Amino acid sequence: MTTEGPAEAPLRILALGARYPGRRESSLHDISVEVGAGERVGVAGRTGAGKSTLALAAAGFIPRVVRAKLDGRVVIEGIDAATAAPGALLGRVGIVFATPANQLSASKLTVREELAFGLENLGVPRAEMDARIDTTLARLAIGHLADREPFALSGGEQQRVAIASIVAMGTNVLVLDEPTAQLDPAGTASVVALLRELAGGGTSILCVEHDPDVLGQMDRCLILDGGGAISLDVPGAALAGAEELAGTVPPTLIRLATAASIDLSRAFDEPAIAAGLLGRAASRESAAADRTPAGGQSPSGDQSPAGSQSPAASQSPAASLTWAPARDRPSVRVTVDGLVHRYPTGLEAVRGVSLTIEPGETVAVLGQNGSGKTTLVKHFNGLLRPTTGRVLLDGEATAGRSISQLARTVGFVFQNPDEQLFERSVEREVAFGPRNLGIAAAEIGALVSDSLAAVGLNDQRSTNPYDLDLSRRKLVALAGVLAMDPGVLVLDEPTTGQDADGIARVGAVIEAMRAAGRSVVAITHDMEFAGSHFGRIIVMREGVVVADGPPDVVFAPANRELLASTGLTPPPAARIAALMGLTVVPLDAPGLLAALRR
Amino acid sequence: MTATSGYFVAGSSWLHRRNPLTKLLALGLILLSAFLLPPVVLPVLAAVIVAAAWSAGLLRPMVRAMRIPALLLLSIVVVNALFFPGAKEALVNVGPLSITREGLTFGFISAGRLLVAFLASVVFLFTTLADDMLEALIARGASHRIAFVVLSAVQLVPRMRSRADAILAAQQARGLSLEGSFVRRIRALVPLIAPVLLGSLVDARERTFALEARGFGARPGRTAYRIVADPPIDRWLRILIVVAAVAVVLAALGVIGR
Repeated sequence: MTTEGPAEAPLRILALGARYPGRRESSLHDISVEVGAGERVGVAGRTGAGKSTLALAAAGFIPRVVRAKLDGRVVIEGIDAATAAPGALLGRVGIVFATPANQLSASKLTVREELAFGLENLGVPRAEMDARIDTTLARLAIGHLADREPFALSGGEQQRVAIASIVAMGTNVLVLDEPTAQLDPAGTASVVALLRELAGGGTSILCVEHDPDVLGQMDRCLILDGGGAISLDVPGAALAGAEELAGTVPPTLIRLATAASIDLSRAFDEPAIAAGLLGRAASRESAAADRTPAGGQSPSGDQSPAGSQSPAASQSPAASLTWAPARDRPSVRVTVDGLVHRYPTGLEAVRGVSLTIEPGETVAVLGQNGSGKTTLVKHFNGLLRPTTGRVLLDGEATAGRSISQLARTVGFVFQNPDEQLFERSVEREVAFGPRNLGIAAAEIGALVSDSLAAVGLNDQRSTNPYDLDLSRRKLVALAGVLAMDPGVLVLDEPTTGQDADGIARVGAVIEAMRAAGRSVVAITHDMEFAGSHFGRIIVMREGVVVADGPPDVVFAPANRELLASTGLTPPPAARIAALMGLTVVPLDAPGLLAALRR
Repeated sequence: MTATSGYFVAGSSWLHRRNPLTKLLALGLILLSAFLLPPVVLPVLAAVIVAAAWSAGLLRPMVRAMRIPALLLLSIVVVNALFFPGAKEALVNVGPLSITREGLTFGFISAGRLLVAFLASVVFLFTTLADDMLEALIARGASHRIAFVVLSAVQLVPRMRSRADAILAAQQARGLSLEGSFVRRIRALVPLIAPVLLGSLVDARERTFALEARGFGARPGRTAYRIVADPPIDRWLRILIVVAAVAVVLAALGVIGR
């Protein structure tokens, strides 16, 4: 071929703007990015920055499926998305969203048939289908799933099947909108590996994400803020610059790369960071160039949760937290005694767990999907009842007490806020719980105000919760439980779908609860969040507890294989410290840098 | 019960082996007969359906599926027996109310019709995979929109139920009590309605996007991966059913059978 210059990029976004009907402000303006063949471009930004709108437009969904006014152009393999004939983009571009179960056709009984669904719609002759399906399954290394039922798969497997069913259609441009948001670390890693494999085969990938570990694997990152592009660069440089502009804290690896003075294009190259930090430690320069405040806590000796001192909490608006217990109530001890839970299907999700959570303890429960984490904590407020064994609150068994009675003691925030929000205003929503408990009206007012202040939503009291985005709906759900003034707060995946600011607010609430002598138990897949906001880490695998201790013990190098056996890795700072051969186990960037100074 | 399989009970009985269209037409015939023909046919229809379910080994799941509809049917009989407007002949007096002959008759007939409709629908859902139904409809030239609506309708109840369970748990965890008087319990349902409906809408939007991304209905000339069986006997059955349906309509209009 003698074409002049490089070939035209398969996905070209040119001066793109978008405005939804009925909105005065545009959701996107003047975005330009080209994704070349085999290139992976990450899209990051705070909640409401326009990331999802960009994903929908890049996949040709605007204006064909989602109504919005577009400026500029989206060109997919030479075809203008706005004027493409119906079906013209089919087999050229595909999109995958966050909720795994919703990405599948919902009607197919095997993965093989699920992949065939797109081919049927393309009109591929039946005789060719099996070959194409087998090729795709083999290429994406999911051949073992071929005859499984899609709905029985884990979230990570479902996302890979969803991507495979788009790739099977011969699609060269893949758009993803937070594909790992609901996955456990092992599922996230499998999706990241699959994207690398696809790009290696020439697929152009545009991937909206929050997770720095995923963004770090991209070739370039586009950072959005308020609908505009604020940077487009290699991940390290883009994220470092963007976080400075947006005023939040850069991801740990970037802070460490900066401290190690290595080039930001290698900000996600962990051995390089470790080597850089070792070199600097050797030349005893570490303190001078460290741009973080020097007052970091002792990373290993201090067993208290690092919430109040973590950089996220100290530099965000959440630092102005005003939540405090509105009422005097005794702290509660949770005792789990020989708990076994068997579901009606015969699945034994918890297979003998005994533990005690003392008043004021903050506990993060980690483990793969299906390890029994949610089943365990649902026993604390009676949502599930033991098959054998007991759960006691302050020595009193939960048996015989209804969920609504136990709700006086144990607050439970579900992962999906949309399963609990129903009132027409945020204020009424938050008051629902305390009203159910029969708390006096005057007292409810104070509880509602304090809870909303704690999550930073006091200015949204009269807003309809459904007018807020997912991350703030999650905060409303949290406030709704906080207002019940629980002795024990249980959180199921509080940080999914949250940006750095939201995570900091959740962390600050946990710290405030602890300070008030209340206990917090959280299920999370975010290792850094677990390490920096909780005093105790419990790791579950196949229904039993396999590790239980302070974060710097559980995340120590000695436990590396144990963690890996259930798909977990230590937080980034601990990983770097291990690579450096340090004996301390720091949980965040300041902790590691402080350890180096000593 | 999952959204994929809906009420489908895996099996290979003679009912399972029928083409989805044959079963859909048979369901239509039964509904026509139940609602258009005189009530004397109702016990016959119910007996035929129960016998069919028994021969396919579906009696037990059928009884289980009828527990909630049975409450509805009972309430129809009771309400009509006591409150039928314009009823004259009282059979038994119950305090200030009385059970009337007209009300009792009307109640039994209405409940009987619904019972037949429920039983037939349950057998249809037990033996028909939603996806086969979809393929059969599209193969017959039904529009993708209609096929999608049918698919969604079949999946609606299992989806709504699992969502309602999750929402109920979330609200109870916020102290919502389901105990107490009838009025109190009815009032407790309010916090469940909005999340169920809104959640279903959000769900529908996402699932529409997923189908859109896979090109469902985007191009003519769709092919099929799995062939839905259509044995020769099904063709004869369908002709028979259509003829019977015409006869039922004519009989109801009083053209024949006088």
